[in-house]
Amino acid sequence: MYASRNIELCSKDCLCLFVCPTGAADTETGQIDRDLCLDGCRLCVDACPSHAIYLVMNNYPEPGVKNEELTSLMMALLERKTEQEQAARNLESAAQKPGEKKLAMALGKSLRILAEDCAREAGFMLPQSRSVRDMLKELTETVDSEKNEIISKLLREIGKVK
Amino acid sequence: MTIPRNAFPAIFSNLAKASEKQQLYVLEKLFSELSESMQLKSSSRKVSPETIKNQITEDLQNQYPEIMKKAEYTEERGVHRALRWGEKVTTLQKSLIDRYLLKGDEFFVENDLFICEACGFIFLGKTSPGLCPVCKAPEKRFTKVS
Ligand code: SF4
Ligand code: SF4
Repeated sequence: MYASRNIELCSKDCLCLFVCPTGAADTETGQIDRDLCLDGCRLCVDACPSHAIYLVMNNYPEPGVKNEELTSLMMALLERKTEQEQAARNLESAAQKPGEKKLAMALGKSLRILAEDCAREAGFMLPQSRSVRDMLKELTETVDSEKNEIISKLLREIGKVK
Repeated sequence: MTIPRNAFPAIFSNLAKASEKQQLYVLEKLFSELSESMQLKSSSRKVSPETIKNQITEDLQNQYPEIMKKAEYTEERGVHRALRWGEKVTTLQKSLIDRYLLKGDEFFVENDLFICEACGFIFLGKTSPGLCPVCKAPEKRFTKVS
């Protein structure tokens, strides 16, 4: 487990810097350096007056098995949301009037968020989960070399955190 | 389960967000890249707000009720939640298009649109709505469309 700072809550009171034994809490980016953070130490979590620090797990349990019929229904819904998102993007690029363009842009973004929610419920919630790894491996057979390169990097990275 | 080709951009942009939340920034970047590389190019096929409205209306009349009926007797809480929020957000998308068709382009130029990044709710007004009425995310999760 490592500490993570919610930067929007942090009031820069710096009490975490006083207690952190490794200096992990003191960085330029404002985020805690997870490579220096001691597993489960949590001194900074308790010291922070703004409740701005929380602990992130290193390992997550494999998500439970989902109902297969529902998963495919959510996948079908995801397909529809994506088609609509695409339609909104086409409208956005073809729109002549500024209000119409704005409407299309908002719809496109909103539909992407709905599509992403469907994707989670279709079984792709946790990046390091088996379903995501299997899906990536399967995808390598059907995509070009440029995408394959990204996928092999991804699988390597996921292997490190799993 | 076969995954339709057009589903990958959203699957991967979502995984990028999930990586970012765990501070897995390398993963975030790679998932974003993959998402973008699989994005379909926008075509010049003429689309009108009415076309999108019709697709959305079909979801509200048939898709959501049917999937909800199937989900009713299962323990899939995430699916229940996604369907409820999705239905509300979609209802509001439709009413937004209706307002556009009714009030005209000027009205949408004079007002701003704000999107809840957590659930997709679109709000039309002069200032952001504070708490999201659909998912209760705080004001800072809203971004202005511009
Ligand atoms: S103690 Fe809390 S408020 Fe102060 S710098 Fe650390 S995280 Fe921010
Ligand atoms: S958990 Fe401990 S080591 Fe990690 S940042 Fe907080 S005080 Fe430092």
